[in-house]
Amino acid sequence: MHKLIITVLAKDRPGIIAQVSDVLYQLDCNLENVNQMILQNEFAGFFLTQAPADLPPETLETTLKEKTQGAGLTIHVTHVEENGAPAPGQGTDIFLITTSGPDHKGLVARFPAIIAKYQAHILNLKAVFKGGPKPEANVMSYQVIITPDVDSQGLFAELREKAAELDLDIRIQHRNIFDAINKI
Amino acid sequence: MFEDHEILSTIEMVKNENLDVRAVTMGINLFDCISHDLDQFKANIRKKIIGHAADLVTTCDAVGEKYGIQVVNKRISISPIGLVAAPFSPDQMVEVAKELNAIAREVGIDFIGGFSALVEKGMATGDKSLIAALPQALAETQRVCASVNVASTKAGINMDAVLEMSRAIKKTAEITAADDGLGCAKLCVFANIPQDMPFMAGAYLGVGVADAVINVGVSGPGVVKRAIERSLEEKKMGLGQVAEVIKKTACKVTRIGELIGREVADKLGIRFGIVDLSLAPTPTVGDSIGEIFQALGLPFIGAPGSTAALAMLNDAVKKGGAFASSHVGGLSGAFIPVSEDLNIAQAAHEGHLTVEKLEAMTCVCSVGLDMVPVPGDITTDCLAGIIADEMAIGMINMKTTATRIIPVPGKKAGDLVHFGGLLGEARIMDVPHLKRTNEFVGYGGQIPAPIHSLKN
Repeated sequence: MHKLIITVLAKDRPGIIAQVSDVLYQLDCNLENVNQMILQNEFAGFFLTQAPADLPPETLETTLKEKTQGAGLTIHVTHVEENGAPAPGQGTDIFLITTSGPDHKGLVARFPAIIAKYQAHILNLKAVFKGGPKPEANVMSYQVIITPDVDSQGLFAELREKAAELDLDIRIQHRNIFDAINKI
Repeated sequence: MFEDHEILSTIEMVKNENLDVRAVTMGINLFDCISHDLDQFKANIRKKIIGHAADLVTTCDAVGEKYGIQVVNKRISISPIGLVAAPFSPDQMVEVAKELNAIAREVGIDFIGGFSALVEKGMATGDKSLIAALPQALAETQRVCASVNVASTKAGINMDAVLEMSRAIKKTAEITAADDGLGCAKLCVFANIPQDMPFMAGAYLGVGVADAVINVGVSGPGVVKRAIERSLEEKKMGLGQVAEVIKKTACKVTRIGELIGREVADKLGIRFGIVDLSLAPTPTVGDSIGEIFQALGLPFIGAPGSTAALAMLNDAVKKGGAFASSHVGGLSGAFIPVSEDLNIAQAAHEGHLTVEKLEAMTCVCSVGLDMVPVPGDITTDCLAGIIADEMAIGMINMKTTATRIIPVPGKKAGDLVHFGGLLGEARIMDVPHLKRTNEFVGYGGQIPAPIHSLKN
């Protein structure tokens, strides 16, 4: 067995996950994680699967495309790098970094660049820009994994500096506070 | 993974609704510092308090920074000085207070509480010295808070102590007259004082608790007010549903306090005690208990219906806290301090809230007549009568009650008094029968404990 990730993009409609997961089942792939989201009307899905050793990613991608022909799916399959982002564990913390304020072009590009400079991993990013001056209409929220080797003080200081430069309100908070308030 | 509304509502609570951790209070037991020698005792308490609390402020700041929620006040509560400094004279007690003040300054905290005595069933030598020392001690220190428990449901009311405290308050006001009697803002008289309370001026560390402990006081009247407003904007609801909204909000706020308190305790290597969720206002718009009454549809705090609203509020806060944590303590409810709450001070000024109505409301709130400025020429008898009434409410209802009354020298009802900072400002409240003699309080002795105290 080996681990593969399948990404699927499409116009949102009922049945996309059912269609893809049925093909994976037929090919004896064992699904480990599935995640999906809708960005406006666009569907984006991620399927992490253990595939049989004799099923290379190229073959799986071709088979999936054949079996879903005409459904308007854009499919890509690739191996999963085992040495990717660190799993949250001993000594690691997850912080939520949330900005709000006036919309600017290039906002999403600027903060990840700083996070990358400090070798921190973004676990999750959500950004909603409705435009206009209302702070709550333009919000970015990053969940960032901070391992012990990350200079968190330096990272947070630089993020705050950038937010001030862009006239954004920035909040940097350990995720446990959100757990405490919302996950009862 | 969090939903957008979860992230945004959490940030909203901190950013716009004044949610904070009002106080992290380290309780420190001083019984192992006892000595008959004053210098030795001062050296012992210095070593013990600084030994535990040297890193309190930096640790609270670091934890607050981590969670993006400010720990506004870092404080210390200690074993009652009336007990641990029992051999000393009043003058020596003042020296102890000054030493505590210096220690508080050194560790960077704003208040140290526990210049206290427990006299509900009689005054011992140390207690008498402490009460005699109160005016001077409060006048000559800035960070020392004092409290005296004169009543309990189990013991009754020590009326000798009530009268003594009335005299002490009057004298404290007189010798701090230049600051409008500010010394009295650091002095509480209690019935059923809790031994784990993190809030000042009444915080002290009880005799049955650990050597050192972290107690946390969380507030959040602004959060509760907005939650009520949002719910009522969304749909018409009955008061049962409004109480549910308050309870859920209180639960969230309490969980924040517990999270932060436990982390501070872990980092300092000492035991976590309790969370006290008390809706404690500040003199800031949007951080007011009085505004909660208006959110509930009352024209102002003090209007008919206010006592019922406060009863519902206090109960819902307690239920939410109890659901959130197994270690809820202190007062946990709602405070109605006059000068510390812009809205309450305004209601008092406009005559909507009288001393009598305030007293009625204290039957159902967590504390009592709190931060109430009264005319400086109030007689000792009248003041003692007010204290005795408040103590009776606590004794009979098996709850904490307290008074923090400030007779402002040279000023009369309606005059403005400004205490500054969190203590706020208010117009002096009118007190009926201000100058009448009152033989009742002069009889002294002990009002016996009520029948329902006989539970053994």
